[in-house]
Amino acid sequence: MSDLRTEEYYLNMGPHHPSTHGVCRMVLKMDGEKVKEIEPHIGYLHRSIEKICENRTYAQCIPILDRFEYVTAMSCNYVFALAAERLASIEVPERAEHIRVIMLELNRIASHLLFYGVTAMDIGALTPFLYGLRERESILDLFEMTCGQRLTYNYIRVGGVSRDLPNGFIPKCHEALNTIEKKLADYEGLLNENPIWLVRTVGIGVLPAKVALDYGVSGPCLRASGVQYDLRRNDPYSIYDRFEFDIPVRHNGDCYDRYLLRLDEIRQSIHIVRQALDALPEGDFKAKVSPNFKPPAGEVYARIENSRGELGVHVISDGTKKPLRVKTRGASYNHIAVLPAFATDVLLADLVAIFATMDVIMPEVDR
Amino acid sequence: MQGGIGNMGIFKDIKALFSGMRITSKHLGRHAITLQYPEEKWEMPERSRGVVVLLSDKEDGSLNCTSCMLCMRACPTAAIVIDSPRDPETKKRNLKKFEIDFGLCCFCGLCEEACNFSAIKLATKYEFSSADKDSFLWDVNKLQEVGRDVDYIDTRKKKKVAPKKETTPAETKSPEKKPVDQKGENS
Ligand code: SF4
Ligand code: SF4
Repeated sequence: MSDLRTEEYYLNMGPHHPSTHGVCRMVLKMDGEKVKEIEPHIGYLHRSIEKICENRTYAQCIPILDRFEYVTAMSCNYVFALAAERLASIEVPERAEHIRVIMLELNRIASHLLFYGVTAMDIGALTPFLYGLRERESILDLFEMTCGQRLTYNYIRVGGVSRDLPNGFIPKCHEALNTIEKKLADYEGLLNENPIWLVRTVGIGVLPAKVALDYGVSGPCLRASGVQYDLRRNDPYSIYDRFEFDIPVRHNGDCYDRYLLRLDEIRQSIHIVRQALDALPEGDFKAKVSPNFKPPAGEVYARIENSRGELGVHVISDGTKKPLRVKTRGASYNHIAVLPAFATDVLLADLVAIFATMDVIMPEVDR
Repeated sequence: MQGGIGNMGIFKDIKALFSGMRITSKHLGRHAITLQYPEEKWEMPERSRGVVVLLSDKEDGSLNCTSCMLCMRACPTAAIVIDSPRDPETKKRNLKKFEIDFGLCCFCGLCEEACNFSAIKLATKYEFSSADKDSFLWDVNKLQEVGRDVDYIDTRKKKKVAPKKETTPAETKSPEKKPVDQKGENS
């Protein structure tokens, strides 16, 4: 056996691989089952969103940016509106701010529920996928009754939101939150102690805090590595400073912690939505902003914490009704970039688990 | 890390597996939350953004559109094409062409928001997929036909009843322009 000659080989994973959450190709240098090197190839989903935005008015950019990160399209709506509001110094009514927080947090819950299901499915458990999507459905129903769409909302506008909350939204929202809170125990019961799940996630893909910081990893992936950094606290936007909530942190930085952290975040988001619903004031839901408004020349970078991490948009205005340049920043880009730095020397099957728990979504990378 | 099973003890593992099974079995007798789609359908919420239609006057059935082209300018994908040349004598617009290309439309609803005359709306209807690309180009007749039974709140009527309050240029023009659409429709 000792004279058996072995050699490293290259393996293409993707572009059309079900666990790449979109279209991502990874060229893997393999030694048997072990991944030695990873080289992510991106760009398959490029839709030129930034360039398209340069030829649209500020109001028209928002439905385009819905497609930027479609799992949490509310955040994309919001971050652009925030940038435009800062450029043009627009005051947003109180009620609108509350509605926005409700929507952003509901969207975070929906995104984490999708994460829960999809990650479990990537690792080989089908049941959680069905459960996660069932509860996500109740949130999508809320979005549909509010803005008419389930995925590309186009709801948050420069200066407010497009429509007021519909009749019956508040009781329905409370009901959905209660159900999700109850079902979280089921979710945890399915996976948290499942021996197969533990073997597949505990200690797998440990992302050290220093590497994470060096590569600009943000959001739950960073917090699972022990760094308490959340833009809702560290760079408060909207009215987040008024609500009481914790920033969950975990310290091992492995797949299991990244998974648990997101379940913790769902609880915190439920808490925020409840507070916002209770504090919801009467009043206008939108400031008066002309659809063709012209912000003064200047530039602004707005960033928010969405379910994946820092979502930012840099808008440069030349004083006309269309932005001169729109640059978007998605957390997933950094989450892919960091893979070669820490996800080596793992089994190929574990790479799938790591990729899934980094919660990468390709449209955000390629935009 | 690979020794997870050994460390935890076989009994704990079996217990964990059974607790998972218990959660699954709780759902055994439950009703499915899904529907048998083509036979059964969800009732769409009233704000649901489906196909774009042109609305007609509730009384005389004529198009509400005044060819002001605001929706065309608001559309981010240039799905709407309107051609309404001004009549050289009366200086009024004549709606010659109103087309929406659903291959381009992204169902954002900006056209509905831009329109001041309750003339265009995203109805709750869906199911207009087709294998033929050309069939996505709907002309004014088709848009009006599909929109006939769509219920809407007519915001124009209020302005007609009380035209003297807060007369902005757009509002004062609306009653004059109304007859034009009928011409446009007949032509
Ligand atoms: S549908 Fe409305 S906005 Fe569009 S041209 Fe007609 S009246 Fe104007
Ligand atoms: S829904 Fe949006 S994309 Fe479609 S026609 Fe109206 S404005 Fe254009």
